[in-house]
Order: sequence, then C-alpha cells, then structure tokens
Amino acid sequence: MSMKISIIKPGLLSTIQDMGRYRYLSQAVPVSGAMDELAHRLANKAVGNDDHNATIEFTYADASFKAETPVLISYSGDGATLVCNNEIMPAEKPLFFPAGSVIKLIHNAIGVRSYLAIAGGWDVPDVMESKSTYLTAAFGGFKGRALQKADVLVSGTLLSEVSDEILNHLIERSLTYPNWRISRESLLPENRQTIRVVLANEISWFDATSIISFLTNSYTIDKRSNRMGYHLSGKPLVRKVKKELLSTAVTPGVIQVTGSGDLVILMADCQTTGGYPRIAHVAAVDLPLCAQLKPGDTIHFSEISRDEAEALYLEREHDLSLITMAIGLKYIKT
Amino acid sequence: MNEQLGYCGTNIPIKIYGLSEKSVTVGFGTTIDHDLLALITDFNQLLLQNPFSGLITTVQAYTTLTVFFDPLIVMLSDLPGQVCFEKISAHLNKIVQIKREKSSTIPDKLIIPVYYGGDFGQDLSTVARTNKLSETEVIDIHTAGQYTVFMIGFVPGFAYMGGMDPRLSTPRKEVPNAKIPTGSVGIAGNQTGIYPMETPGGWQIIGRTPLKMFDVNRLQPSLLKGGDMVTFKAIGIKEFNAYAEI
Repeated sequence: MSMKISIIKPGLLSTIQDMGRYRYLSQAVPVSGAMDELAHRLANKAVGNDDHNATIEFTYADASFKAETPVLISYSGDGATLVCNNEIMPAEKPLFFPAGSVIKLIHNAIGVRSYLAIAGGWDVPDVMESKSTYLTAAFGGFKGRALQKADVLVSGTLLSEVSDEILNHLIERSLTYPNWRISRESLLPENRQTIRVVLANEISWFDATSIISFLTNSYTIDKRSNRMGYHLSGKPLVRKVKKELLSTAVTPGVIQVTGSGDLVILMADCQTTGGYPRIAHVAAVDLPLCAQLKPGDTIHFSEISRDEAEALYLEREHDLSLITMAIGLKYIKT
Repeated sequence: MNEQLGYCGTNIPIKIYGLSEKSVTVGFGTTIDHDLLALITDFNQLLLQNPFSGLITTVQAYTTLTVFFDPLIVMLSDLPGQVCFEKISAHLNKIVQIKREKSSTIPDKLIIPVYYGGDFGQDLSTVARTNKLSETEVIDIHTAGQYTVFMIGFVPGFAYMGGMDPRLSTPRKEVPNAKIPTGSVGIAGNQTGIYPMETPGGWQIIGRTPLKMFDVNRLQPSLLKGGDMVTFKAIGIKEFNAYAEI
C-alpha cells in the first residue's frame, strides 16, 4: 500500500528530483535532478531505496507537511532541520511517523537544500526516463511544477527488501527511529569553502595573472543564483584570446567566464550548450558543496588534476556502495 | 591534457579534452561549416553504432561532439588505459580509423509550415526595413532557402539553423523580449531558428509554425536534430488553425 503526505506549507521552492535526465541532452533537455546529489542519495539509502528514486528537494525551511498514512521517510542536506512535536528529527536515518503527524522544516543556517525521501520513492510519472522537475519547460516531477499547498504526494508501492525490513522493525503506533545513522560528515571535507576544480579547455585564453587570481582570490555567491547556475562576484578575469567560442556542450559544474570577465558556475538546470569560454570545472565530488552555497557565501578554488578528480569520484562511489551494503547487512540475513 | 590526431580521410585535426568526470569533448576544427557538420554527424552515427560500454549519450554542436558516460562502467571495460579519459580516447581513435564513404549519413529532410507576419511575426517589418526589402520579398527569400540544423541548444528542441540567405541577415534585438510565444520563427544574424516553448529571447520574429517543435510525448521529443535539412512553407491562417487543431 502506498504511503501518503499532504503539503501544508510548500516553502520557497520545493520540487521532485532524482538523479537527472541524461539521455535527452542532444535534444537540449537539461540534466536537472537533485542539486546536492549526495544528500539526495543518502536520504534514499537511509530508507532502503535505490539512489534513482525520486526525493523532494526543499529550498531553505519554512515548509511543513502532514503524514496522511503511516510513513517511512528520511532526510538529508543543509537547508533545514525536520521537527515533529517540537522534537528535532535526526537526519540520514529512517524515521517512522504514524498517520496524522505534522512535520515541519525549520531554519538551518548551514546551507540551502534538503532532500526528503520516502520508502518506495515519490510516485510521479516518468518524463523522458526521469522524475526530475524542469520548471522552465514545465515538465517532470509533480505536474511539471513546484509543490503547492494541499498537494498530495504518494509513494511507489514497490518497496525494496531492505525498505520492507526497515519498516517491519519500526512500525508502531508512535514516532520511532533506529539507533544507526549514515555519517554524511565523513563524506564531506571539513573545509566546505574550498572548491576543488580541474582547469578547462579554454584555460589558455586567459592571461597568467587572471589564472593565478582565479586560484587564489575568493569569490562571493551573487544574488543571481538559482538551479541553473551561480553568478560569482570577485575580481573579473582578463582574456588574452578575444575570439568567440562557438557554442558547445556544457554540463553542471562547468565554470564559464562571461563577456565582462565574471564567473558563472553551471548547476543542475543549466543549458546543454554554452558559448562562453570555460576556465575550469568543479570536481564532481565537490558539486554537492556548491549546491549548499547561498548568496553572500565566500569560496575559493583549488586546482586538482583530471586524474585526481576521477580518483576522488571513484573513491566516493566506492564509499557510497559500502554504505548501501552496510544498511543491507543490518536488515537482511544472508 | 589534449591529444592531437588527424581525422581519417580529411586533414582536419581532432582534439579530445575532458569536460567533466562524466564527459569528454571531441573538437573538429574551429569554424561553422557544412562539410564539418556532415563529418561530425557521421562521426556521431558511427560512435552510436559502435558504442563503448558505459556510453550514455552524445551532444553535437557546431564544431564538437561531446560524449557522456558512466565512469564506473568505463573503468570495468577492457579498453586500454588507466583512467576513463585514456580508455575513451582509445575507443574514439578506433572510430576515427573506421573506413567509410564520404558523407555516409543521409540527412532527414523536413518542411516546416509557417504563418508569416501579422501578430505572429511582429518583426517581419524590421527584417524587411533592415535589408531594404518588402515583407513579401522576405517571405519569398526565407521559403526559398534550404537550411541545415547545426545543433539543438538553448532550450529543449531549439534548433540553430544555418544556410540562410545573407540578404535576410538581421542583428538580434538590443533588448530581448520577455516572452516569445511557442512556435515563433526568428532570425538572429545569419541564423534562423524556432522557439519550441515560450521563453525570453532576442531573435527577430518573422512568423509562427503550428507544429510542436518539442513534445515530451513523442519518442524523439525534439522535432529536429543535428544534421537535418529544413525548408519553410508559407501558410495562411486557415491552414495554421487546421494544424493547431490536430
């Protein structure tokens, strides 16, 4: 049987997201998906879901919802803390709520986005093989739009064996959760203001002073920042090659330099092609850190090689597979 | 970071560079060119027919083809190399060496019906005035041309088409419109394009097509793809409305 919630207060921007829509890039359909893919995946793992199940991406707090049936949910991210009956709910842990529970998201000063997973995943239709919402073209997710007051969301009825077992262990008349939790902190660097980057193809288009400045100066996240990309304010970069770049494929994490020399980090909903020269791309493992940056936050960039970035990515994937395995072993007798 | 290779059968050097942990780009030359487009379309077809394990999709642009992949699957493959970049480069080099007939890919040809001018093409007069033509001449020249889709970008299904008669060349608007209606046919510089959905935009709008340029319910949501050949046909309001009712 599916689980159900209703939205009491939707918050600033709440959308259904998953791991993105990769197969339609050639038709200029953006990747979309969770901005903080790591938090999205950890929320899923905590309820025994597949990483590809859809979660709700909440932006900051000031949102609330009601469990219309008993629900098994979890959350992760830095935009909000979940509270029920004035009790703070632990993150990255399966949480069982009886029907009628009212759950609020309260302010968490660290970041921007939080992900709410439900056992079985949020059940919305697949559009081009993904449940991610792309607001610009109004497709995907819940009716192609952000969540609104009184929306009712249901879970998929197909639970994984692990989800089933977690539910069997927790199902009670009252709010309950187990002792274990996933340690998200162990996957994140202590210093979240340093973003590792790999230098890009057009690096030689910039003068040496500008490249040094890019790697040593700090940059501030501008107000013009959303799911498409972040404008950064800081010392503008100077180009030594003035020619135009013919539009070519770009992808989330790419850092473009605009005509005025300003930096833009492309994020989940970015266009599939771009015509600004690129100075670097954010290492895939540090993109979740970018997803939690808010206007006024200051960052600086640190260079790593393409091979290092790949090694970090493979190591992160290995760590994540160990987490899945560990949760499985807790619940499934082999 | 880059590898220089000669492209088999041509003297165009190709250059492979990493775009992210999950994508590499193959660059072919640096100018917009019909022969280059045919070559990239060809290379794309060959790669899709001979994929490496872990290939997800490709994105064709003016002078590049970008290949997206799953690094975990690529690392498990027996392609030579220690890292994804080496393994994929090795595969792409094999594709380069496949012997083929020149332009083995036959482009799809499409006719796009357009209602020109009036409320649907409010900038038709601007295009006419800029080029010292009458509005009818603009329509005649636009429908006489054959256009090539260089790439799909900007928003889902937006085709950048080259091959427009330079007599219609008109600069973009200085101040973009906040809302360009779905189906609007526009001109920017020497290119023509169709807005598949309502978005802000700076192109000079000369007409509107009743066709759905992007429809999530189709197997191929974007009506056009890179390499397609397009012609425009002028239609009246009756015909426009008949299409719209389908």
